[in-house]
Amino acid sequence: MTCKPDDLVRDPLFQLNAVLWLTQPLPQGAEIRPLLHESGFGVWAIAPALAPPPDLQLRAKDRGVALQASTRPDVVIANSERGLFAVTECKASSFGEESSNAAQARSLLVVGGPRCSEVLAITPNDVSGTLVAFVLPEDQKTDFAPTLESLAGALSDAQLFPGTPCILGLLTSAVAISLAADAKGAHFFGLEQEPTQFLPIEENTCPRPLYFIPYDPDHGQSSVEAQYSKRMLFERLLASAVCVAGRAKPPCDLLLEADGMLNDAMFGMYGHWEHRDARTHMRRLWRDFMKALASEVDRAVPGTTTYEPQAGWHVTIDDHDGHKSLLDVLTRFSCERLVVGPAPEPELFDALEDP
Amino acid sequence: MSTHMLGGITSRQGLTRFFDGYAADRLEEIGKRRLRRALVKSHLIEVLNGSRQCTDAELSALFSRRGMTLAKREEGLFLARGADGAEVGFLERLTSRILALYSVLDTRELCPLVNRLVRHSPELDHVWLSGQTFGVLWRLMVRLTESHRFTKLVFVHERLYDIDTPSVESDEETDEEHKEGNEEDEKAREVREQRETRLGVVDRVGIIDQRLRSLQELYAPFHAISQLRFPSPVGRGGHDFYDNGRVTNRGESFRDHRAHLLFVVRIYQHLLESTERSTWYSITERVGTPGQFHRIVGAPVTIRFQGNGLAPDVFERWVDSTFSTTGNRFRLWGHPIRLGPTKVHVYGVDRHLWQPLFLELTARGCTAIVPKNTCGNTVHRLVTNIQRYVDPGLEAYIGDRSYREVVEESAEGVPYDMQA
Repeated sequence: MTCKPDDLVRDPLFQLNAVLWLTQPLPQGAEIRPLLHESGFGVWAIAPALAPPPDLQLRAKDRGVALQASTRPDVVIANSERGLFAVTECKASSFGEESSNAAQARSLLVVGGPRCSEVLAITPNDVSGTLVAFVLPEDQKTDFAPTLESLAGALSDAQLFPGTPCILGLLTSAVAISLAADAKGAHFFGLEQEPTQFLPIEENTCPRPLYFIPYDPDHGQSSVEAQYSKRMLFERLLASAVCVAGRAKPPCDLLLEADGMLNDAMFGMYGHWEHRDARTHMRRLWRDFMKALASEVDRAVPGTTTYEPQAGWHVTIDDHDGHKSLLDVLTRFSCERLVVGPAPEPELFDALEDP
Repeated sequence: MSTHMLGGITSRQGLTRFFDGYAADRLEEIGKRRLRRALVKSHLIEVLNGSRQCTDAELSALFSRRGMTLAKREEGLFLARGADGAEVGFLERLTSRILALYSVLDTRELCPLVNRLVRHSPELDHVWLSGQTFGVLWRLMVRLTESHRFTKLVFVHERLYDIDTPSVESDEETDEEHKEGNEEDEKAREVREQRETRLGVVDRVGIIDQRLRSLQELYAPFHAISQLRFPSPVGRGGHDFYDNGRVTNRGESFRDHRAHLLFVVRIYQHLLESTERSTWYSITERVGTPGQFHRIVGAPVTIRFQGNGLAPDVFERWVDSTFSTTGNRFRLWGHPIRLGPTKVHVYGVDRHLWQPLFLELTARGCTAIVPKNTCGNTVHRLVTNIQRYVDPGLEAYIGDRSYREVVEESAEGVPYDMQA
């Protein structure tokens, strides 16, 4: 599966996973250089729902400034020892003050401002500095910096106390993907002002690392990246099904259900998503995947699966031979074919099945 | 062996007395170069049932599913019989997660039996002592043993994927003693050119200790220790530990044999717990703000190959062989996603324990993400097998700490208790 590094740095899901890798403990000389971990930063919260303080919300309303009641930055990274917190958002490209993204950016600036400890529910003494970091392709920095300045300025004028904004740019060269922090970001994160390589690029090789978060419908992705994410998600769903089936002790009845499998695929992240549309989207993907898988299983061993609405797929294993056949079908199932094949047609009662 | 030799033993005390006498007789026979019966052997087996609390009844049920009956003698002590009713040996729970099967069956009978048992039970696994773990055990042994005592080290590295013509991997686990005695295998290996190192050294502890580091610098397979003898402090001989958890008593005391098992098992259990504590990736709630904020915790396992790593054709063979044959040495399953000529991602499964494991394999090494509840044994099996079959001089890390350091830390404070 090929990819262009320049397209990759424009993909918010790659950006998010790159930020997560930058905070991982890795040995010296590892392929990925964890620049943020080296400066003492780790993941404090992933996709937290953060609400600007109510008094600031009221003030924003009074002054006609559009804020979101609650916003979800992709990740909050922190150096807990030094009391530094960075509300971090990944973006594919720059946007203007009139864009639909502007309200979210304003909200992020407010929650990452001087009232951040209140928003994060931590003691003010434990916070010595905050920052609102936007991760985006480096070539978008020139366009985005004035927008950020202007948004922060307007919030200051309205006495909504915005946090310090910074841009973490991602740029590619022939040999590596680098992180380029602006002056404020470099100072806060203890990074070089010059772009610093963190992910090597080899000839004819996609530099993509393993993804912690394989899929997120909230992130707008290119069709190529969306297809890759879907493949990763399906491979992880298949691994979950293979694990359940592998541990089975026939004769028995297994239940493959959406929440368990989606949580397995996402390190439990799915269970914490509150965004209804995103959950519905994920369950649809799961159902498409399971329909295809169940059909393959039933083709090989007829009558093995039954679907129970609101519960999931029951898989009946009668004996050792049935167990072997089931594992054989599951381990040969091709997620790649499923991803590149035509999308399944929606059925009449599809919407009723969604939670 | 007699099928009724152990039936009358009803307690640990009786067990120890019997095996003590048996071991002393065998050592005497070894002295006369006339070994009439098999030596006492122990197989260390890890029990995995998720909850980490496997009751005696559950243990019996588990073995019974694999055709072995357990008759309880004392708390955590069972007489094990095969499907035909013949005595296999005694099974003792040494720690909450690790069992020892003591037996006087011949290796040719016992090893396949244990391998089959483990192979068909996702709840059981061998104790995997990697070359790196043996390296730490060696240092401990040097500190514990007088330097004039004799010891034995065996180094095994089969560069399985660096061959002239690819072959289909065997579905059976290898057994050193079988290989050594099998002339047909020897002939086959002569025809198929493949880099392979099998070296055994028997010498005084002090002499080996003086030279081992230089040998390792000179020739990487000297890192791939697959067998180590702890000299017995209470008499002649010692205890041979193999990389798959088999331990042969070549000393005259079973008591001492068991004390050595406990010593290594305690280190291993610490190592498992430490690995799981560090590596398990999950989304967890922040303490202090329950239900509100979640963070991602865990640390990747990184394995780095020596020098420039693997040649592209060797890498290709490794990936193909590991993910296209069910009987691969690594017991992994997954569909590799190709990202380049020498880079793949696999969102796969440890098909022995049926637990997920996400891997990036490149010509320069391997990165593993271990989801929560995947047993630490998966990591140790991976390191052991990569060292044995891919690169003997690899460096492994858990997060930013070296694997060796984690093993050393696991050994700290573990009592070497001869009176256990």
